[in-house]
Amino acid sequence: MSWAVDRELGSAFMLRIMLWLALRLGRRVCTALLYPITLYFYLRSPGTRAASRDYLGRALGRRARKADVLRHIFTFACVILDRVFFLTGSSQDYRVEVEGLAELDAILDSGRGCILLGSHMGSFDVLRAFGRGAPVKVKPVMFRRKQGPLTALLEALDPEMAASIIEIGRTDAMLRVQESVAAGEMVGFLADRDPDGGRTMPVDFLGEAAEFACGPLIIASVIEAPVMLFFGVRTGPRRYTVRFEPFAERIVLRRRERQADLRHWIERYAASLERRCRETPYNWFNFYLFWNPAGSAGTVDD
Amino acid sequence: MNASTDPLKTARTSHQLLDAHPLQDTGPQSPIEAEVATLIVDTLQLEDTPASIDPQRPLFNQGLGLDSIDALELSLALSKRYGIELKSDDDRNGEIFANLRSLARHVDQNRTR
Repeated sequence: MSWAVDRELGSAFMLRIMLWLALRLGRRVCTALLYPITLYFYLRSPGTRAASRDYLGRALGRRARKADVLRHIFTFACVILDRVFFLTGSSQDYRVEVEGLAELDAILDSGRGCILLGSHMGSFDVLRAFGRGAPVKVKPVMFRRKQGPLTALLEALDPEMAASIIEIGRTDAMLRVQESVAAGEMVGFLADRDPDGGRTMPVDFLGEAAEFACGPLIIASVIEAPVMLFFGVRTGPRRYTVRFEPFAERIVLRRRERQADLRHWIERYAASLERRCRETPYNWFNFYLFWNPAGSAGTVDD
Repeated sequence: MNASTDPLKTARTSHQLLDAHPLQDTGPQSPIEAEVATLIVDTLQLEDTPASIDPQRPLFNQGLGLDSIDALELSLALSKRYGIELKSDDDRNGEIFANLRSLARHVDQNRTR
């Protein structure tokens, strides 16, 4: 856990706090507690402050102020609390607007699944707000090995979801991705981080090169799966906007031009992400020095 | 590439096999191992030569350094070439993909073409 080093803001740690509170105190009290929680992280985690200021300066196109950083941390705390309600199935009164569903359906209706590229922007779990009427079933590909007690807790809350998680790190993880897509399912990756120390490539992102994972796009090319982008951002109290964005019918990496082709697609992903960062800057939840992770204090958890 | 004709080496190999610790000996590549090694190098565009892959060196992580994406590409290539279907819910995947020898053995025993 990163907080042992610097209390750097990781969603695993925040989620644990929120789960504990939400299961005991209910939504109203928890919502009120978001303010002191935000202040606590602001004051106690210089690493979080630095990462937030670094990112916001780029996304806002101006120097980030104290109020911006507080708002950033507050948004994160809100989304994590919402995530608890998504996972526990108590989000019936949330308003979730969905864009791009027709494009998604067009792919799924053809009987093929697809790869969904998400990111640590907003919440992936907002898809669960639909409950049984969810427009899509997504198998999140996750890095699970290090989460320990948190994973156990989430499994208890939503066993069906937990069973659908494909664990990264296993040799046959990507075989399962291939089988799932072939069976018409969607497999989601959080493609803005490389969870496994795998292949990455530096591409321009908000004005400076940052390392992006190659894995999800290589897999999409190998299994010839269509790729959609996914963004689920919080736009207000109990309000989210989900957007599915067509990205590629098929990703072709020519054998001899593999790196150049890969770069093309990763740059496109980074450019889409950049647009969303500028639109909804406070929904970005990578609280470490994204452009220089080695300079971050502590480690990064999910 | 094939079994060495060096009598000393052959002797050592058979000794090791009798010794009930065959895993301690690297040994040369068998014909099927050489074939699978070539498939690995071609599929994954490795810089190693097929003959340089030690049949008992781990293929993944610290060994040859392959990852789960390589495993996927490899299994698709094995399916095309040998008609072998590898499934993610097979508990033996770890053993099958352990090294060139285990993978070649699996190919040998399960190929349909």
